[in-house]
Amino acid sequence: MVVRPKPRSTRLLLVLLVSASLAVITVDYRQGPEGPLAGLGRTSLSMMAPLQRAVTTVTRPVGDFFVSIAHLPSLSRENRDLKDEVAGLRTVINGSIGQEIEADRLRNLLDLPNSIDFPLVNALVIGNGVSNFENVITIDRGSADGIAVDMPVVTGGDTGARLVGRVVAVIANAAEVMLITDRDAATAARLVDTRQAGLIQGRGDADMVMSFLKGGVAVEPGAVVETNGYQNGLYPPGVTIGEVSRFVPATGTSDPYVTVRPAVDFSALDYVAVVQKLPIDTGTLSGGQP
Amino acid sequence: MVRRTLAIVAIMITAILLQSTVFSQIRLLGAKPELMYLVVIVLAVIEGPSEGAAVGFAGGMFQDFFLNQPKGITALTLTLLGYTVGLARQYIVSPSPLLPTTMVAGATFAGVLFYETVSFLLGTLEVAPVFFLRTAVFSALYTALLTPLVYPLLRRVFEGSRRRRVVRF
Repeated sequence: MVVRPKPRSTRLLLVLLVSASLAVITVDYRQGPEGPLAGLGRTSLSMMAPLQRAVTTVTRPVGDFFVSIAHLPSLSRENRDLKDEVAGLRTVINGSIGQEIEADRLRNLLDLPNSIDFPLVNALVIGNGVSNFENVITIDRGSADGIAVDMPVVTGGDTGARLVGRVVAVIANAAEVMLITDRDAATAARLVDTRQAGLIQGRGDADMVMSFLKGGVAVEPGAVVETNGYQNGLYPPGVTIGEVSRFVPATGTSDPYVTVRPAVDFSALDYVAVVQKLPIDTGTLSGGQP
Repeated sequence: MVRRTLAIVAIMITAILLQSTVFSQIRLLGAKPELMYLVVIVLAVIEGPSEGAAVGFAGGMFQDFFLNQPKGITALTLTLLGYTVGLARQYIVSPSPLLPTTMVAGATFAGVLFYETVSFLLGTLEVAPVFFLRTAVFSALYTALLTPLVYPLLRRVFEGSRRRRVVRF
């Protein structure tokens, strides 16, 4: 390399590099997710995963600290509300234990699958998508632990499992999970109360949008939304997705829809569980979506 | 030369690691900073267009491959950005200590907009124009805020490892 390059050689370098970038863009664009470039990307991701894991282990407390500062004003209120809720729920639980046993017995008799009746693999979140446009996380378990593309990912909550997303890429020691809030994510869902089915689409950091299969609905904010499991759906049925934050009535040109706030706080996600269930017969579906 | 390359590679890996772990949690108004943009812009400000373009290309490829994004778009963005910033720097004579911060803000804004536009044209990104602009503004602001912290460090590394000026004929 010359110490002080002449403008001419700099321009030549620029043209070369820009052409190389354009070539890579074109090749990657044409090959899609199966091409050698994508394979190379996965290989580099597997080199990056252990490093990310190390950094996350060290910096997680720092990140949590900042996240909790941001949430501080609402924390004490939330704490009080939660205590009230716990007291209320205890009473409900005591009443419902009997029903649960009964339901279990009946379910066994009917041989119906439980909502999550599949083995779970616990995983640590070691990285988040780097760009501002994708809502993707990296977890520290991969194909070596039996994880495959399209497996649902959930996280625990006090009211049962909550939906996180699905595995979109997997390597030996790590996997990428597309969150339900990603703009490319679509989730079959239903309202718990009325069983109305619809489709939830991610809107990035904004609340998700749920459109309904049938018009003429009126939904109150606060209604809980859960996954709708079809015979060959991607997600197990009955996993909590979130709650309705706003109802947007129909206008002349568009059907009514609701916005849904996810039940999971994705900015503070540490541990998730991968459900080792694959959609049955994805062959009949385009793109593996329900 | 080898030492310098190694130093730059180490900086890039650090940038990617921090970007994908720490800064994906600590967000400013929903936006993440663009650490790789920051590194390339600062280097271009210090070293000029040809190294700006070369490091921009390498850094962009690094980010695209290591984070498994659509390949090549960041590389294209950062190549052009490094070159333009390096070129623009030669015509700016302001002695203001805020110059790097201002340049990082402006260049990150332009770079993110460029990245978004290319992604949009390729169909890998479909969002409203308002969101485009909002992301560009906030991540530019965030990146600019980090500049005063990072600039002195990067400057020491870049200038300390610079090759001695030997003119050969």
